[in-house]
Amino acid sequence: MSPDRIAGLLVRCARKDERAFAELYRLSAPKLFAVAVRITRRRDWAEDVLQESFVNIWHHADGYAAHKSAPMTWMTAIVRNRALDWLRRPREVEADESHDELLAAVVDERPGPEELLRRATDAGRLAECLRQLSEEQQRSITLAFFYGLSHGELAARLERPLGTVKTWIRRGLDRLRLCLETR
Amino acid sequence: MRYDSDELREKLAAEYVLGTLAPRARRRFRTLLRQDPRLRRAVADWEQRLSPLAEAVPQIAPPARVWRAIRARIRPPRLGPRQSLSFWRAAALGSALVAATLIVLLALPDRRPVSTPEMMVAVMNDVQTRAPAMTVSWTPGGADRRVLRIRVMGHAEMAPDTAWELWLLPGGNRPPVSIGLISTHETQTLVVPAAQAALLDAAWGLAMSVEPKGGSPTGRPTGPVLYSGPCVKT
Repeated sequence: MSPDRIAGLLVRCARKDERAFAELYRLSAPKLFAVAVRITRRRDWAEDVLQESFVNIWHHADGYAAHKSAPMTWMTAIVRNRALDWLRRPREVEADESHDELLAAVVDERPGPEELLRRATDAGRLAECLRQLSEEQQRSITLAFFYGLSHGELAARLERPLGTVKTWIRRGLDRLRLCLETR
Repeated sequence: MRYDSDELREKLAAEYVLGTLAPRARRRFRTLLRQDPRLRRAVADWEQRLSPLAEAVPQIAPPARVWRAIRARIRPPRLGPRQSLSFWRAAALGSALVAATLIVLLALPDRRPVSTPEMMVAVMNDVQTRAPAMTVSWTPGGADRRVLRIRVMGHAEMAPDTAWELWLLPGGNRPPVSIGLISTHETQTLVVPAAQAALLDAAWGLAMSVEPKGGSPTGRPTGPVLYSGPCVKT
């Protein structure tokens, strides 16, 4: 799945080439679906997120060129944002959906964030910089990234006060940026 | 702790991309994002920085129905398969707020004296643009409870040889129930078959799908859903 190939398909999608769109989906959907499943923690929700995301990608493929990032980064951001919006949506209507219960499911997710971080070694610099963070910083950032946990959920999961978790994340992100920029 | 504006921008962008902003902060940030190119740049930078992590997630093949639903939605006139009920509910969910606002506007001019104390209104949004697209109202429990007053907003067009079918979403895991075909006319009425009328007053929401001429051949939605929204009692 070379970035150039994906970028080429996106350009064709911008010209409303449905065959290119089908190919783009075939190549990228399994990765993007996995991202959505991790964050929403429910297959049916992840399916809806993936559907919404690809309809969005189809309609906004012409906006990709302006973004100047790697094509998978652009599409991953669309899927993550959809998934996060889904998790953070107002829940008055679905008050029965207890997020705490869903949260418990995180424990059973394999591979866990540490394993994912290890696998991200290919990602070289990012993984290296993440490892330079304190264990708490690293853990809270990867949990948030992979599972879409909010500050409050992280505090509950890590059994630490909200303020502490917020600080871990803020400082962790600061250090991460510095590390990535200076190397 | 004080931040100068660059620092604040950087911090918010990072937490937005990581996903840890609280729901309200997230929505506010989204609004700021539209107005501030530097903020968009900061977000793009953070997406770039963190995206290698997503690479580590093992792939999962999505079921074929997802692609069928996507294809149906990017080609509205062509008929695709039925979309999942949870998708409908999701689409409807977003319109609850709009519904609450619009209800007041709708209910007032239409309200008749004492004999009709209550009204049910479904404000249905375009599932793609999220804009209010259609309203359906009726008087629950009354003699004319089966008569739906329908308003189609904007200038909607129906593809040739298709029909617009209105569906009642009973809620829970129960499947949609057809309540009839409608036109694109701005104002119209629809008399619901007696068999379905009983479900109306407890309906969770309504949805409209594009079907073959004459309506869905299967008794379930087969084409893309254009509009949907929850029912609210006024």
